[in-house]
Amino acid sequence: MANIREIQSRINSVKDTMKITNAMYMISSSKMTHAKKKLMDTEPYFYALQGEISRILRHLPELEHHFFDAREKIPAEERKIGSIVVTADKGLAGAYNHNVVKLEEEILEKPGIHKLFVVGELGRHYFAKRGVEIDTNFQYTVQKPTMHRARDISGVLLEQFRAGELDEIYIVYTRMENSVQSDAEVLKLLPLERSSFNEMKMPLNMYREAIDLYPSAEVVMDSIIPNYVTGMIYGCLVEAYASEHNARMMAMKSATDSAQSLIHDLSIIYNRARQAAITQEITEVCSGARAQQK
Amino acid sequence: MDTFGLKIIASDKVFYEGRCRKLIIPAPDGEKGILPNHENMVIAVTVGIGRMEAEEGKWQEVALGGGFAEIVNNRVTLIVDTAERPEDIDVRRAREQRERAEEQLRQKQSTQEYYHTQASLARAMNRLRLAQDKKWNL
Repeated sequence: MANIREIQSRINSVKDTMKITNAMYMISSSKMTHAKKKLMDTEPYFYALQGEISRILRHLPELEHHFFDAREKIPAEERKIGSIVVTADKGLAGAYNHNVVKLEEEILEKPGIHKLFVVGELGRHYFAKRGVEIDTNFQYTVQKPTMHRARDISGVLLEQFRAGELDEIYIVYTRMENSVQSDAEVLKLLPLERSSFNEMKMPLNMYREAIDLYPSAEVVMDSIIPNYVTGMIYGCLVEAYASEHNARMMAMKSATDSAQSLIHDLSIIYNRARQAAITQEITEVCSGARAQQK
Repeated sequence: MDTFGLKIIASDKVFYEGRCRKLIIPAPDGEKGILPNHENMVIAVTVGIGRMEAEEGKWQEVALGGGFAEIVNNRVTLIVDTAERPEDIDVRRAREQRERAEEQLRQKQSTQEYYHTQASLARAMNRLRLAQDKKWNL
């Protein structure tokens, strides 16, 4: 049987750890409510934007624009592929970071010249060690996503896309399905593909009219698409932020739970050891007394 | 008088949803007015001040960010970065934003940074212009 003092110190250390995990759980759950509210505020914009673009594209099938240009002439090995990877700033969030990193690794397997834009400290460290090209001027944290930051990020990417420094842009982030499930996901930002906007099925007899673009298709697209990209990035950041805190909350909850069960088990062992020691002492006293009587 | 359905969606909230009589929005080449039963159209919207008349004779001014307006079947959907009422604008913050942008414009920047700051400056000036017309914000 283990030493009583050893068990006691073990219990104390587990208790200390539990205090930390419990505090982190509380922090994450309060941030989580924030993030959820933000997510709910943003969702109408996010979905309306996608819906409108798909509607405009449906009405204007012949539209030619540089954001739709797939640059098919460039062979697969020479395509410059940029991906935005949204990870957390620190670990302790269960499988949250690993899922994102794993998905990004799958993209890196594909042929092409890869360049990473990492949002979040943890991903930055991971990919820096792995020796992939990372845009070093791209230092953004994932805490408190704002429209301003999304605008900065999309500005950098659109500029590089226009200049031909990037041919394809993806974003890897975690989408929150519901409060218990979230999945890592890859989304293609540019070039836009017609098929990627899920087209609504329309009844055949419905009258569909043409839509005019004012002042011109070019100007309208120039104004909509950067906005669309910014909106998508903002939406992804908010989704990832909410999922991160959800993941951390769950991880910390299970850590606290397992600490509690560990303490429970340890205190049983502790009590047994204490009881055994007392019994032993009594036996010793008794046998000593009996020896003196004789 | 006829009305049309109007929905203004900003990136952080649904700003307005309901009927509207007249709407004036800032387009790249000047302001554009929308009356009920307008032709189907998509219009680019730039940073500027929009006005809408929801009830007769009551004009509401809105500071708009960039985006676009879509008119289909007498329904208008205005999707913009930001939409703010004059009373919601924080003048001091807008002023600070303007000063910061002006400061950055004086420094040497790449072309991309230049456009970025310019857009930021435009947004700040727009907010200030709308807010400073109103007495309660001065």
